[in-house]
Amino acid sequence: FVSYQVEILDWKTKEQLCFLDKVEPNATIREIRLMFHKLYPQWYPARQSIKLDPKGKSLRDAEILQHLPVGTTATLYFKDLGPQIGWTTVFLIEYTGPLFIYFLFYFRMPFVYGLDERFTSSPHPVVNLACICHSFHYIKRLIETVFVHRFSHGTMPLRNIVKNCLYYWGFAAWLAYYINHPLYTPPSYGKKQINFAVIMFLLCEAGNFSIHVALSDLQRNGSKTRKIPYPTKNPFTWLFFFVSCPNYTYEVGTWISFTIMTQCVPVGLFTFLCFIQMTIWAKDKHCTYLREFKDYPSVRMPIIPFLL
Amino acid sequence: MAVSGSGSSRADNGYGSQQQQPPSRRRKGPGALATAYLVIYNVVMTAGWLVIAVGLVRAYLAKGSYHNLYYSIEKPLKFFQTGALLEVGLFTNCKYLPGIVPSSVVLTAFQVMSRVFLTWAVTHSVKEVQTEDSVLLFVVAWTVTEIIRYSFYTFSLLNHLPYLIKWARYTLFIVLYPMGVSGELLTIYAALPFVRQSGLYSISLPNKYNFSFDYYTFLILVMISYIPIFPQLYFHMLHQRRKVLSHTEEHKKSE
Repeated sequence: FVSYQVEILDWKTKEQLCFLDKVEPNATIREIRLMFHKLYPQWYPARQSIKLDPKGKSLRDAEILQHLPVGTTATLYFKDLGPQIGWTTVFLIEYTGPLFIYFLFYFRMPFVYGLDERFTSSPHPVVNLACICHSFHYIKRLIETVFVHRFSHGTMPLRNIVKNCLYYWGFAAWLAYYINHPLYTPPSYGKKQINFAVIMFLLCEAGNFSIHVALSDLQRNGSKTRKIPYPTKNPFTWLFFFVSCPNYTYEVGTWISFTIMTQCVPVGLFTFLCFIQMTIWAKDKHCTYLREFKDYPSVRMPIIPFLL
Repeated sequence: MAVSGSGSSRADNGYGSQQQQPPSRRRKGPGALATAYLVIYNVVMTAGWLVIAVGLVRAYLAKGSYHNLYYSIEKPLKFFQTGALLEVGLFTNCKYLPGIVPSSVVLTAFQVMSRVFLTWAVTHSVKEVQTEDSVLLFVVAWTVTEIIRYSFYTFSLLNHLPYLIKWARYTLFIVLYPMGVSGELLTIYAALPFVRQSGLYSISLPNKYNFSFDYYTFLILVMISYIPIFPQLYFHMLHQRRKVLSHTEEHKKSE
């Protein structure tokens, strides 16, 4: 039985921050983080990045000391990730914003369209419909955040939330401004266009929800190991035959339908940016799947069947 | 028991089969063909900006004054400044410049975009500002900067960088940057009343796209954006200057 010694150095200055004696060989990085936290109470485990190499990747909590490429005196590097915020909190803030901001414009608060238009309502039914759809979308997201999603990482850096909120809230304000504007022009093809859009919207929302439930079920037992998602009896999940991240596919579909419904350029622009962002995420996820699973279905594309 | 990983993380990035190249060479420099293309690109760009410089001097001598020189170099300016967009593509795809302190792709892209914007969306689009002296201010600043910058890249690629060029690149910006920025801002400012009057690039409600855009306001926002952005770029260059000019020896060794 050999007991380990662990020294933790600052990744930049290389000064020794702590020296742990008599560490068990099967100690996990999580335990080391807890020990480090005791010595430095301001650095709670979520904001500690512990690595083998000063410029390397952070070690996961589950890693075991004796399985790492270190000698019996291990040298680890510490980097402060800054204040962290839990994913659930992040999503709640990010999604509640657009929900309420849209209402400011829908109900035509005085400071938005000027005093003359305050609290008036639009003569176009599609404007009411758009408000319902937009609100439905964000309420659904909030419900999913609380009841459905299981997050693999606990936290994200606090300063990201400012950036993210500016983006989501800003865009919500911008598109709500035009949709609820007194000079709003309804879609060129009238009821046909709107009805088509509503149906597409509902299908995509249902699809997106189905995928989230399916993904959450994969991790039902609280196991941290990843599994390949497969189509279930729910027809919406059959998109898994063709695509690694059908939730993103459906999400883009939702926004496309909203663009068609409102025939509004800012919505279209937001949709386009969402598409780019989700394609990047989908490609990442797809690559991770390919790396982790040798038997990953080769038909699948990241986000668009057969194409992307 | 494995000793702390000298081989573990970097050894086999899936390139296991290529055992000929020693690992230290893999990250440095492009292949011979890529170098040739890059040298040609940089030589062409240097030549282009020299053409602009010569054009300015000749026009000045012919006219006897420095006013309204824009027209004599309008076409090469548009061509070569827009050509810099290629660079952004190159940077994003292969971090190719050996022995140079790597500058951020984002900053370069940003600078190129703002120059292209000035060239096309302001100077070309608002004809009335083409006679402004502020145009000469930024054209001169750009011309001198680009001639030095492209010759710097050319020499670096050929591994024969004269210290003078390196010094010039990392020193003259101290004057040229503010000069260029002043020229740019004054030009945008001069364009404002004409944009307001003509409604250039603007669209107002109601319309079937449910979109509105006021180019006048946009230009004002662009001018305001110089306030946070320009100091960042400037201090970034100052920082680079300190790094590069004090580590001349180390750079020669790092090949």
